Amino acid sequence: MTFMEALAAGFTLVAQWESIAFLALGVTIGVIAGAIPGMSATMAVALTLPFTFALQPIFGILLLLGVYKGGIFGGSIPAILIKTPGTPASSATALDGYPMAEQGRAGEALSMSLYASCIADLMSNLALILFAAWLASFALNFGPPEMFTLIVFSLTIIAGVSGDSLVKGIIAATLGLLLATIGLDFIGGTERFTFGSVDMRGGLNFVAVLIGLFALPEIIAYIRNPEAKEHRVRGMGYSRLKWPDFRRSLKSIFRGSAIGVFLGAIPGIGAAPSAFLSYSEARRASPNRENFGKGEIEGVAAAEAGNNGVAGATLIPLLSLGIPGDVITAIIIGAFMVHNLTPGPLLFVNNADIVYALFIGLIASSFLLLIIGAVAIRAFRYIADIPSDLLFPGVLVLCIFGVFAINNSIFDVAVMLVMGVVGYIMLLLRFPAAPFLIAFILGPMLENSFRQALLMSRGSLEIFVRGPITILFWCLTILSVVMIIRATVRAARLKREAARSATRVSATPKA
Amino acid sequence: MLSRRDEILVGLGVTLMAALILWWLIPTYVTIPRRVPIKALSPAFWPNVIGWVMLICGLAVVIRAAMAPPPPDAIADDLRVSRPEAARLAALAVLLVATFFSLRTVGMVWTSMVVFVALVFLTGSKNRFWGVVAAIVLPLALYFFFTKVAGVAIPQGRIVRLP
Repeated sequence: MTFMEALAAGFTLVAQWESIAFLALGVTIGVIAGAIPGMSATMAVALTLPFTFALQPIFGILLLLGVYKGGIFGGSIPAILIKTPGTPASSATALDGYPMAEQGRAGEALSMSLYASCIADLMSNLALILFAAWLASFALNFGPPEMFTLIVFSLTIIAGVSGDSLVKGIIAATLGLLLATIGLDFIGGTERFTFGSVDMRGGLNFVAVLIGLFALPEIIAYIRNPEAKEHRVRGMGYSRLKWPDFRRSLKSIFRGSAIGVFLGAIPGIGAAPSAFLSYSEARRASPNRENFGKGEIEGVAAAEAGNNGVAGATLIPLLSLGIPGDVITAIIIGAFMVHNLTPGPLLFVNNADIVYALFIGLIASSFLLLIIGAVAIRAFRYIADIPSDLLFPGVLVLCIFGVFAINNSIFDVAVMLVMGVVGYIMLLLRFPAAPFLIAFILGPMLENSFRQALLMSRGSLEIFVRGPITILFWCLTILSVVMIIRATVRAARLKREAARSATRVSATPKA
Repeated sequence: MLSRRDEILVGLGVTLMAALILWWLIPTYVTIPRRVPIKALSPAFWPNVIGWVMLICGLAVVIRAAMAPPPPDAIADDLRVSRPEAARLAALAVLLVATFFSLRTVGMVWTSMVVFVALVFLTGSKNRFWGVVAAIVLPLALYFFFTKVAGVAIPQGRIVRLP
C-alpha cells in the first residue's frame, strides 16, 4: 500500500460519524476525569479500556486516545482553580495558574491553558505523523538481537518513572518482570509459577493487572481515610484572555511544544519534566521573569505547552517500535492487543489504514479539545462537586464489570483484586507502580527476543553485537545508565543535605 | 520518605522475598525439561536473573537506609494505622473476598449493588440516599451495556435472574 493509498484508506475509516463521535466522547470523558480531584488521566484510560472491546478497532482506539488527550488537559483545570493538579505534569501549571485564580483571573488562565494545550497538541500530532512512519520503516530491519538491545535500552525508562528512589523502581520492575513469566514457557511449553491452576497457564491478564494496580489502590486509600480534603474552588472571575497577552506568549507556546515533542519521543521521560523544563525556559527568556510564580500568564502557557506537547510524541515509539513512552501509552497497548493489532513496524505494513486513520483522528482531536475544553472550563464547578463517597464505590463497580468483560473470567476479577492490594502495599511502602507495569509489558518481549537470538546463534552471545544497530542501542543504554547514575547521586546528595538542614532546624531550641 | 527503621524492614522484606523466589519458588514451581542445550534457554533462567537482581536491590535498600542519615521525624512518613482505619481496611478486605465468592452464586449485578451500598455506609457518607440510587442504577446500566451492546455474558447468579 503506497502512502497515498494508506492515507485515503485511513481517511475513509475516520470519515464516519462514529469515529468522530467516539473521539469526542473520549475527549469529554478525559477532560471530566482529569478535572475530578482524585481521578487521573491514567485511571480514566484504564477504566475506559474494557468498554472498547465491543467496538471496532478504530473506534475503540480513537476513544482511548481521546481520553488520553482530554485527561492531560483536564488535569490543568483543578490545578488552576483549586491548586490540586489532576496529573503530576499539571503541577507546573499551578505555579502561576493558582495565583492568577487568587487574583480573580481564573478565566484568563484557563483560556490560555486551553489554547496552549491545543496548539502544543497539534504540533505534537504533526511530529508523530512526520516521524513515526520513518522510524517504523527503519525498525523493519530489526531481528531478535536488535529487538533485545532496543528493549534493554527501553527498560532504562524505569529510571524516569521511578520517582524518589531508583532502587525501589528497579525492585518494582523486577516484580513486574517476574509476574510476566507466569504461564507456559514459550519454547518448551513447560509450566512456570502456575501452581497447578489452569487459569494461570495463559499468564496474568494485562488489563486486570493494570486496573488493579492503578485504580484499586486509590479506592483502598480512600476507604482507609474517607475524610475528603476540603477543596476551595476559586471563581472564574470576569477577566478574559486578551490578544496582546496571547501574542506575547506564542513564543513560549511554540518553544514548550518543541520541548514536549522532543522529550515525549524519548521513552520514559514523560510530561512532568517537559512541563517544568518548558516553564523554566520561558522564565529564563521572558522580560517578565520576576512575575513568574506570582500569576504570570506566560508561565501558564509554557507549562501547558510543555505538558501537552508530549501527548502525540509519546505515540512515536509506541506505534513505530511497539515500546510504550509512558504509563498511559502502556495501557493503550492493551487496546491494540485486544483487537489483535501489534504496535511496531509491522503495524505500518499490515494495518496502514488504521495507522493513518489514527493520525487523522489525532489531528481532529486537537480541534475537538478546543470545543469540549471550553465547555468543561465553565462546567468545572459541577464536575468537582461529584462526592468522593459516590465516586469511588462507582469506580470499584466499573472495575469489576470491566475486568470480567475482557475474557468472561472471574479469575481475572480475582487477579485485579489481588493486584489492587499489591498496588496499595506498594503505595504505602513508596514503591512506584509505573516501573512494575512497564516491566510487565516489556518482560515477555525481552525474554522472547533474547531466547530467539540465542537459538539463532546456537548459544553464541556475539549475536548481540552483530551490527551497527545493536551496537548503537548498547551505546545508548550505557549513556542512559551513566546519566541515571549521575542524576541519582546528585539527587541523593541534595536529599542528604535537605535532611541535615531539617535536622538542624528541628534541633535548634525555640526562643 | 519512610523512617530508617521502616526502610530497613522494607529492604529485608524484599531480600527475604527474593530468597524465597530463588530457593523455593523456582525449584518447586518452574518445570525444567530434561535436556536444555543452552543454559540461557532454560525456563528457569530469567526467573533466576530477576531473583538475583531483586536480592541485590533488597540488600541495597537495607545498606542505604543503614548508612544514610535518618530523615527527621517531620519528613518521615508514618506507617501506623489508627484503629478506625484498621477496622475500615479489615471490613474492606472481608467485603472484597465476599464479593469474589458471591459473583457466581449471587450474580454480578446484585453483588455490585451490595458492595456499592456497603462502601457508602462504610465511609460514613452523607449522601446515603444518592448512594443507594447510584448503587441500583450503575450496576443495572453496566449490565445492560455489556449484555445487550457488547454481547458479554455477565454472571447472573442462581437467585434472581435479569432479562
